[in-house]
Amino acid sequence: MKKQKGWQKQKTVLDALFLRELKARFTSGQAGLFWTFFQPFFMVFLFVTMHVIMHGSDTNSNSAIEYGIFIALSFTSFFLFRDLLTKSSGAFRANKALFIYRQVKPIDTLIARLMVESFIMGVVILGFVILAVYFDLISPPKNLIMVTLGYLWLTIFGFGIGLIIAVANTFYDVVGKIVGFLNLPLLFLSALFYSIESIAKTNPEAAQMLLYNPIVHFMEMIHGFYFYDLDDRYVDYNYMALWTATTLFIGLWLYINLERKIVSTS
Amino acid sequence: MILLKNVTKYYNTTNGKNYILKNVTMMLPRKNIGILGRNGAGKSTLLRMLGQIEFPTEGSIYSSCSFSWPLGLGGGFIPNMSAKDNVKFVCRVHNKNEEETRQIVKDVREFCEIGEYFDMPMRTYSSGMKSRVGFGLSLSFDFDYLLIDESLSVGDTRFKDKAKEALENKVNKCNVLMVSHSESMLKSMCDIGLLVHEGQLFYFDDIEDALKEYRKIIKKAA
Repeated sequence: MKKQKGWQKQKTVLDALFLRELKARFTSGQAGLFWTFFQPFFMVFLFVTMHVIMHGSDTNSNSAIEYGIFIALSFTSFFLFRDLLTKSSGAFRANKALFIYRQVKPIDTLIARLMVESFIMGVVILGFVILAVYFDLISPPKNLIMVTLGYLWLTIFGFGIGLIIAVANTFYDVVGKIVGFLNLPLLFLSALFYSIESIAKTNPEAAQMLLYNPIVHFMEMIHGFYFYDLDDRYVDYNYMALWTATTLFIGLWLYINLERKIVSTS
Repeated sequence: MILLKNVTKYYNTTNGKNYILKNVTMMLPRKNIGILGRNGAGKSTLLRMLGQIEFPTEGSIYSSCSFSWPLGLGGGFIPNMSAKDNVKFVCRVHNKNEEETRQIVKDVREFCEIGEYFDMPMRTYSSGMKSRVGFGLSLSFDFDYLLIDESLSVGDTRFKDKAKEALENKVNKCNVLMVSHSESMLKSMCDIGLLVHEGQLFYFDDIEDALKEYRKIIKKAA
């Protein structure tokens, strides 16, 4: 048997797990997969329609387009983050049968799921771009690099939290349920449908409260660098870095200490 | 050659520590090894430690040999995937290329004789069918030691004979480390015996002696 070393071995395992996860997503339950791709488009359609109805007379087509892009950015990034968390929580449990192959480390299953979620969201974003080009709704971003960075950073942050959840959920399955529970409040408290600027105008205290939520900073960053009439004045990069570093540190620390136990409980 | 150095393994139970091995130091020669012991004595744990998916509480195990995964009762498969996809996955994990993978899939399909079930999710399989796939798969890889955990005890007579024959062929190229309650199986496959009993590991140069000692322990308990 060919002997492989370190990261090469891990890459082989990750490739195998990625294909496995992808195939599992595409074959188990067609409705689930359809919903994964369709949900962001549906949400954008819903919110743009609501926006047009609510602002009836004083909307022009331009503001509807801007609003559509705003919502599309919100939901693609938020759903990516949400799916990273929910899919992470079950990663170790669902794949525990595979830990009898000693090459397969639990963290590999988590990274594979992260790759699958990022891939799916990449396809969705591509879908939005194609739609925009096809219907000639193009409004190019102010700073594409910073917008992309926002998505990537959010993915890393999601990995840190996902790792903590995955480890905790292996020993206490209530954790996974709590995560599922938190999705709904986070949907409303994460600056998806509004900018902090618009809240701060009427209620500065509420805006301050919202800024304790790290996801809000990511949203503000992505929105702020996409639109010319928004900026990142409410984004606290130190706060984001603190959250990312802390969760990654705790996650990795927990994982390194408990890896053997996770493997053995399979 | 396998070296166990000051290996201690215990599980925490409600009544304190349950020792499987207590400070065991032993050198095992490269022969076919049968592992004996009462239920719960720690045979499977020992096998899993050799397969590096369970770890000693203290001490360490050294070996330059390659070990298969512990071949148990249909473990190591994702129930929502077909045997074919599971086999492909294991091949990929073990860094087999496309062509080798195709060959292994074909070999396992022929060996396990489960017909169209091979392409159906493994949750629909009986335990006998699962262990057929698992056994066929493990034969397709080359390891120095094949770790077998009772997996041959579930098949029907015909499959047992077939498996035994395949295993006897395989043993020319590799060694087995086998947990079994079947005396005939142990006698025909293994040269030396290990007896796990109350935290101790006893070594026997001849599997017959191990079986004799094992019978004594059983009788004492009864």
